Amino acid sequence: MRGIAMTKKIQSLFLSFTLIVTSFIGLGQVATIAVADEFPSKPIEVVTHAGLGGGTDTTARMLLIRTRKNLKNNAYITPKKGDGGNKAMSYVKSKPRDGHTVLAITPTHLFRMARGGAALNIDDFVGVARTTVDPIVIFVNAKSPYKTIEDLIKAGNKKPIKYGGTNVGSVDHISGLIFAREAKTKIAFVPFEGGGAIMTNLVGAQIDAAGLNLDEGKDQLESGELRVLAVMADERLSALPDTPTLKEKGINASFATVRGVVVLKGTPADTIAKLEKGFLKAMAHPVYQNYLTGAGLDASSVAGSAAWDAEIKKIYKEARAALVSLGLAK
Amino acid sequence: MELISKITLILDLTTFLLILGSTIVGVLIGALPGLSSGMAIALLLPFTIYLEPNQAIAAMAALYCGGTFGGSITAILINAPGAPPAAATAFDGFPMAQNGQAGKALGMAAVSSVIGGIISLIVLIIFAPTLAKIAYKFGPPEYFALAIFGLSMLASISSKSPVKNLIGGLIGLFVATIGVHLTTGISRFTFSIDELFEGVSFVPVLIGLFAMSEIFVQASKSELLLERIKFSAIKLPSITEFKNCGKTILRSTGIGTFIGILPAEGGTVSAMIGYNEARRWSKNKENFGKGEIEGVAAPEAANNSATGGAMIPTLALGIPGSATTAVILGGFQIHGLRAGPYLFEQQPDLLYTIFYGMLLANFIFLVFGLLGAKIFSRISLIPRGFLWPSVFVFCLVGSYGLSQSMVDVYIMLISGVVGFFLRRSGFSPAPIIMGIVLGQLVENSLAQSIIIFDQNLFMFFTRPIAMTFFILTFLSLFYKPIKNLLTERKSK
Repeated sequence: MRGIAMTKKIQSLFLSFTLIVTSFIGLGQVATIAVADEFPSKPIEVVTHAGLGGGTDTTARMLLIRTRKNLKNNAYITPKKGDGGNKAMSYVKSKPRDGHTVLAITPTHLFRMARGGAALNIDDFVGVARTTVDPIVIFVNAKSPYKTIEDLIKAGNKKPIKYGGTNVGSVDHISGLIFAREAKTKIAFVPFEGGGAIMTNLVGAQIDAAGLNLDEGKDQLESGELRVLAVMADERLSALPDTPTLKEKGINASFATVRGVVVLKGTPADTIAKLEKGFLKAMAHPVYQNYLTGAGLDASSVAGSAAWDAEIKKIYKEARAALVSLGLAK
Repeated sequence: MELISKITLILDLTTFLLILGSTIVGVLIGALPGLSSGMAIALLLPFTIYLEPNQAIAAMAALYCGGTFGGSITAILINAPGAPPAAATAFDGFPMAQNGQAGKALGMAAVSSVIGGIISLIVLIIFAPTLAKIAYKFGPPEYFALAIFGLSMLASISSKSPVKNLIGGLIGLFVATIGVHLTTGISRFTFSIDELFEGVSFVPVLIGLFAMSEIFVQASKSELLLERIKFSAIKLPSITEFKNCGKTILRSTGIGTFIGILPAEGGTVSAMIGYNEARRWSKNKENFGKGEIEGVAAPEAANNSATGGAMIPTLALGIPGSATTAVILGGFQIHGLRAGPYLFEQQPDLLYTIFYGMLLANFIFLVFGLLGAKIFSRISLIPRGFLWPSVFVFCLVGSYGLSQSMVDVYIMLISGVVGFFLRRSGFSPAPIIMGIVLGQLVENSLAQSIIIFDQNLFMFFTRPIAMTFFILTFLSLFYKPIKNLLTERKSK
């Protein structure tokens, strides 16, 4: 009998506990509805297209550390890997346009859109802030006979340059092809699994040249194993003051690994402004600035909504033109 | 003797506790299928900015060590390798647990892991700058030859029939072709499923083939046949057993350290090759796959020595030797530090902190592993009706958690069903796993080699390292037939 009494007591205790908890949850919901108009009213979700610990993931995490404080709100990352960012885009498409879902965008997404058949179009986005800019630098082995970019171009005319980059259809690939077209030379593109593999194969002289971010070859540049020939940018890099840009050489090929955040078009303007302010303040903080320095970048990486929005549209247009002219998109 | 005096770097309380905590967290996370040490480090990265750079990096390195070891626990107990490098540990570890020797398997895993880990660390601290250059010598042709050498063992990787092993290997190679082809950008067998464009994720397949198919096997056994597993389950290995595995452990350590240096698959490939070589040279060949203790020692020594090996190019060149060390390099960036030759010349303290941090981590998981073996091994005494349904939940969560994708869960379930029927028809999962692990490497490196060689395959003859591997492959395939032929002639 005592056993049954015990069980009953536990049951009633459990029931009342459940009731209390449920009523609290109910209260919480009422509270949320009351302030739903005020952004942010729930945690912000940042959608990435790459694996944990990669460049995009790490940049987003570093960005969020101070953003949480600035917006007095929680924020988290949802990785949606697949089909060159398309998976991430179709996920974002399914979300309300209220600024609580942010897409971390890279040239990968823009090239994927430019190829056609992606879940979203370039006009479906509004740029909020740029987080990093990392121009592509043309590296060669220091023991190679190529002392200037002209040497490399000339050599390519005799026998295609073995040019390393990441996968086919990526910004590395397209930038290499455009460089070859504009400089009237030939390349044989050798795809690798990542920047580290490209660098190793360049030092090991398996390939002739490669487009890398400066940071990916910085140590080997300093130790004298690699040499830089040109930067694919409109202006020279502060870290490489003596290296010419392709533009100076009359070659129209400026490409960079840029990263930034966007929201869906239709998000209220004041919400975008709040997000922009929160992100920009976070990126001005030493936590983010130290991260940039560690990655071999500087404060010029950061840009606001207007500049970033214009830039992604420009990159998209160029990517589209490049893919069409190369026959990789219709 | 700068090295010895630098031990003081990790002797303050905060650093010590951080390393202790990270190692134990690493072991636990490593043990859970679907959660990897790389993931754990990535998630912890932002929080480390509040630590001293030295402490942060030491904690990450310790987590890496703990995580690699942790994978063996679930591989042995429930046939669910906690991380890909522990896949080969399940080949013999789980049969041992089923024979009532879980404690022995766990104890052997801990000891061989530590021996492998420590030797590779000593190699790291003394020879890193020299050995790191090996990474530069390995271009696509060398990787291709190495992968071919690995594949040459397919037929003999398990004690099942060689023909079935080869078929299994081909199934693995087929699965590895799914996704976008590296050099042409053409998508194969993706059926417009976005998640498949980057290939079938390895972890769900692993969980499916091992743990999920095991659930079906267990479910198909009649409950009446259930034997009470003897209490010997919690016994640790004897000194003689350790001694007998000595050679195997050393051989695997050499293999693991070397393959770890190569910036490729690291732990998983070295564990597979370590296991295979152990089987090749063992006196108890027939026992492999049925619960041979050497079959646990070999992959565990190999995958843990690969951690030290993988740190060599990571620290000396700034090239990650494995997925996890890539994340550790991200940690360097966050703290404004740089790996590379610079580290050895200008930041020796950081280097010593990493060395001692990893060394300490090895001792911590030795203690944790040996003490824990007695407790964990009791899992093998849990009645099947309770154990396997819980494993099923693990399988689901583990395959979903990796990238929060239901497609991965379906892949796991399909692999489970396919694995069950394959096992019933006398196939072993080992060659399938081997095929998947080496499939992409063999295909990509060949495609790259062809471009580099200007379509002229005879250029392989100009590469001494590649040729060495090809000759080893030839010997491993034809050594026996040739020997048999010679002895036959003599007897005539």
